[in-house]
Amino acid sequence: MSAHANEVATERGEGYVLVRLAGEVDLSWSQQVRRAVLAAIEQDAAVGVELSRVSYIDSSGIAALVEGFQAARGRGSRFALVAVSDAVRAVLELARLDRVFVLVATPDALPAA
Amino acid sequence: MIRSSARPLPPPSVAPAPARMREADTLAFLAELSQALAVSLDLRQTLSETVRRVAEFMQVEGAALFLLGEGSDGDARSAGVLECRVCVGPVDITGARLAVGQGVVGRAEAENATQVVVDAANDARVWREGDDATGFVTTSLVCAPLATANGPIGALEIVNRRDGRAFTDADAELLGLVAAPAALAINNARMARDLIEQQRLKREFDLARRMQRSLLPRRRRDGFPVTGVNRPAHEISGDFYDYFELADGRVGFVVGDVSGKGLDAALLMVRTASLLRWAGKDGLAPGAWLARANEELCETAQEGRFVCALVGYCDRAGTHVTFAGAGFPPVVVERRGAFSEFGSGGPPLGILPGMVFDQHAIALEGGTLYAFSDGATDVRDASGQPIGGAGVRELIARHARASLDARVRGLLDDLKRLRLVDDTTLLIVEAPRAAAPDVLLARSVPAKAEELRGLRAALRGSLDELGLDPLLRDRLVLAVDEACSNIIRHAYGADGGGSIGLQLARCGPWLRFELTDSAPCSDLARMKPKPLGDCRCGGMGLALIDEVMDDWRLERGAGGRGNRLVLSKRIDEIDEGNE
Repeated sequence: MSAHANEVATERGEGYVLVRLAGEVDLSWSQQVRRAVLAAIEQDAAVGVELSRVSYIDSSGIAALVEGFQAARGRGSRFALVAVSDAVRAVLELARLDRVFVLVATPDALPAA
Repeated sequence: MIRSSARPLPPPSVAPAPARMREADTLAFLAELSQALAVSLDLRQTLSETVRRVAEFMQVEGAALFLLGEGSDGDARSAGVLECRVCVGPVDITGARLAVGQGVVGRAEAENATQVVVDAANDARVWREGDDATGFVTTSLVCAPLATANGPIGALEIVNRRDGRAFTDADAELLGLVAAPAALAINNARMARDLIEQQRLKREFDLARRMQRSLLPRRRRDGFPVTGVNRPAHEISGDFYDYFELADGRVGFVVGDVSGKGLDAALLMVRTASLLRWAGKDGLAPGAWLARANEELCETAQEGRFVCALVGYCDRAGTHVTFAGAGFPPVVVERRGAFSEFGSGGPPLGILPGMVFDQHAIALEGGTLYAFSDGATDVRDASGQPIGGAGVRELIARHARASLDARVRGLLDDLKRLRLVDDTTLLIVEAPRAAAPDVLLARSVPAKAEELRGLRAALRGSLDELGLDPLLRDRLVLAVDEACSNIIRHAYGADGGGSIGLQLARCGPWLRFELTDSAPCSDLARMKPKPLGDCRCGGMGLALIDEVMDDWRLERGAGGRGNRLVLSKRIDEIDEGNE
């Protein structure tokens, strides 16, 4: 298990905003993740949450993603999960949410997602 | 060469040793006979061979071999009696019996000396009824005793020389020479026969022991409330135990001890074990259960045989026990170091019909019921005294705090060290404990979200040691983490403080995750998992726990304070070898 430090960073790309997450998303900082995702959606662009370096996510982390997904839909914005790690995918499948989210491999695919 | 000095009449004509008795021939004959007898381990064949060869070489009309009864073949009459086992000649006297001292044969045996009868018609030693019964006329005879280092075993007799002459000293000497290897061969054949018999008996005993052991139920490790163990003092045990589940969820148990040892006790044990199982499966109250078995055994059991037994039921959780004893040693119940004893409810089974058996109904209250067959109280201490009930209680107290496995091992080892003088059987009834040695992880952390990462890592490590599939491992970690998050968020809430205790234990095929907190008691009614796949927030943690675990339950904490959440997952697919 690769142990990344918990990290959230937002960057602007060509026609999208990308929120990069790393580490283990749990109750200790999922509120921080939630705020970053909602802030990105405020920017009226396609939003992606990059999860390749996320080795763990709990229901509070998933809830932050769900809230982002619903907020983006309310604004008519695109929202997708990017480069989802196996650990995150397993939890999405367990929560039956793997078909709810749009999953893309790279941020380049975001504007078309 | 011992010869009888009692020779009342001299031979009528003293002929020189005939040519047929040449020394070279005699030596050749003896050598040949010895060789033939040396390779023969079959008693009957050894006997016939001896008699046939002697009759042929010595040119006589008849020859017979008598053996002294061993009294061991079930025929008491044979003891101390000489019986003709094989003969050649015109009349068959096989089966003829003579007392030691009776007739020439009996005298040869009694005096351990060769007897020569030159003129049978006028010799007082001759037993005449033989001739009277058969019509055979004995004119002259020689009889040599057969003896081994352990004493006389029989006699070899030759009757009437074919040339019509009377037997001579030379004939007597020759017969005496034949008798030695014949006696040796007979002895060897008997020892071989005994050895084969012993091997046959051993095979049968092995079979009986295997059969007996196969009747004992297998040890159950799935949190079953009854455990039995038997350590036989002999190859074959008269003790037995059994347990089974009834359709109504109760568990029936039986432990018994058949009087006596050996094969017939073992056979009665087999019969009683199936009888008690059959009666117990009807769900009869323990007293009636014993009464029914008693009636049946009284009708059929052999005189002097009886069965001590204890029968009863407990609930699957091992909290309440109903039992009745029949001549069984007192049942000992240990509760946190305090002992109570419950005496037998009636006499042993199989003695008197119409008996009534009193039963006890007790709540174990976390205690343990021990039923030892009387073998345990018979165990001797260092000074050779039976340890008795007090010794057994001391033994239990010494091991009471150990896990079930360790306790059973410890009790048996102690009994063994104290010299087992009887079969020992032990039956234990108790609520299945989360066995101490199976605890894989025990942690207590402050109820803070920042602690969760470390807790997850520790849990992951413990599950990896079990050789769990990584996908299942991650799901279990997620479920436990969700439960911890709920405790932090909902149980402690804004007040914070407090701690979370996590214990991971393996109990048979079950993994149990026990989470304890000191928060105000949670209201179970308010805890509702929402369906998975539902995008609305809240309730997802519980839904994930529901999905991952096979079972979970929330209880008040110890002493009514806090909460205790137990999550269970069955993992029987793990290969034991990975542990």
